[in-house]
Amino acid sequence: MQHAITHGPSFAMLRVDLSPGETVVGEAGAMVARHQSLAMTVKLNAGKSRGFFATLRALVVALLRRVIGGETFFVNHFTTERGGSVWLAPTLAGQIVHRRLDGELLLLSTGAYLAHAGAVELKLKFGGLRAFLAKEGFFFLGVTGHGDLWFTSYGGVEAIDVNGSYLIDNGHLVGYEGQLALSIKSAGGGLLGLAASGEGLVCQFTGQGRVWIQTRNLETLASWLSPMLPR
Amino acid sequence: MHVEILYRPAHALARVHLAPHESITAESGAMVGMSPNLAMQTQSGGLLSGVKRLFGGESFFRNTFTAPAERGELLLAHALCGDMRVLEMTQAGFLLQSSAFVASTPNVQVGTELGGLKSFFSGAGLFVLRATAPSPGLLVVGAFGGLEELYCDGNLVIDTGHLVAWDATLDYSLGKSSSGWFLSFLSGEGIVCHFRGQGRIWIQSRSAAAYGKEVGSLLPPRRR
Repeated sequence: MQHAITHGPSFAMLRVDLSPGETVVGEAGAMVARHQSLAMTVKLNAGKSRGFFATLRALVVALLRRVIGGETFFVNHFTTERGGSVWLAPTLAGQIVHRRLDGELLLLSTGAYLAHAGAVELKLKFGGLRAFLAKEGFFFLGVTGHGDLWFTSYGGVEAIDVNGSYLIDNGHLVGYEGQLALSIKSAGGGLLGLAASGEGLVCQFTGQGRVWIQTRNLETLASWLSPMLPR
Repeated sequence: MHVEILYRPAHALARVHLAPHESITAESGAMVGMSPNLAMQTQSGGLLSGVKRLFGGESFFRNTFTAPAERGELLLAHALCGDMRVLEMTQAGFLLQSSAFVASTPNVQVGTELGGLKSFFSGAGLFVLRATAPSPGLLVVGAFGGLEELYCDGNLVIDTGHLVAWDATLDYSLGKSSSGWFLSFLSGEGIVCHFRGQGRIWIQSRSAAAYGKEVGSLLPPRRR
């Protein structure tokens, strides 16, 4: 399986070339184009399921993902017997990042998922109040296994290698490696800093590992745009 | 005539160098700047073709810029953030998604494709224009996001929201993306364009409709 990410960072697009027998899974609605030799099958976004109860459970999991995870209810499986390519892109302006997983855990902001291939497992992880204050909702998307993962974000994506400690604005977090510890704190400056600096709360990462941040924030765009709309 | 594309890929701008007495026809509102010696003429090509263009999702009017007995320069831009490309007219011509049209040399005939209405009612929101020319000419197209040239050798399936233009040598038909209509709906792909034959297809890396929907969902509702 070969892949290429083009047109980044503003309007990145992913091309995956499949050899006969290979499969890539993409978020519903992400397909730009594909060779006809690739079959597209819609499946519930809930991992492998066999049997009636497993299907029922999958249905609930997919529904949960849709409602609280901000993800799509369905994913598309692209498979081929003859080989061919599929092109995938996120909806918003932004970059795509590839990550080869070898058993480690990655925690992604919900909605950052674009595609995966191989034995990759995706699970919603309850992040509690920390995740909520990090403006991620109450959940992170936990990704683990062995295979390829492609994730995306509005804006450019910057990788930061944390060695010790690092602070990131809540709302700009795309994902982080599972061995890092996340805590929420004030950006500093006492109460005034918390209320008036425009920074508010920040995510503190401690340990050794990689954090991905997005250079723009969709909520900021929306709140800037809203007052300008005609009434 | 020579056209260069600057500020690629996110905010492309076409700089058109016109030789004496040369002219170019551009979509209304596409002009960003021009040398003062150019003459601009607005035309609808008759009421009927103007109305037809409106139905095709384009603007009613188009402007033709003509250089006098000396050289001139014209700057053109597409409405959305994204790349632009200059296509050299071929014998078969091109089909293009209506909002992709930016400009063309005056010998290029641009008309609404009859199949356009079918695609409108199919909910794909796709209006197709046919550009043909009896002699060598240029067509300037604009995209939302990055522009990628694909070569169709047999069969390709493209999401209608990502189509920019394609060689008229290709057969195309609109259809469901998956095996059934219900599954197509679930797949989030909805209606796709099936291409058959040999030819080039230019796609854009973002869909304006999908983008608008996503950002629009975060904005306050319009009060009426």
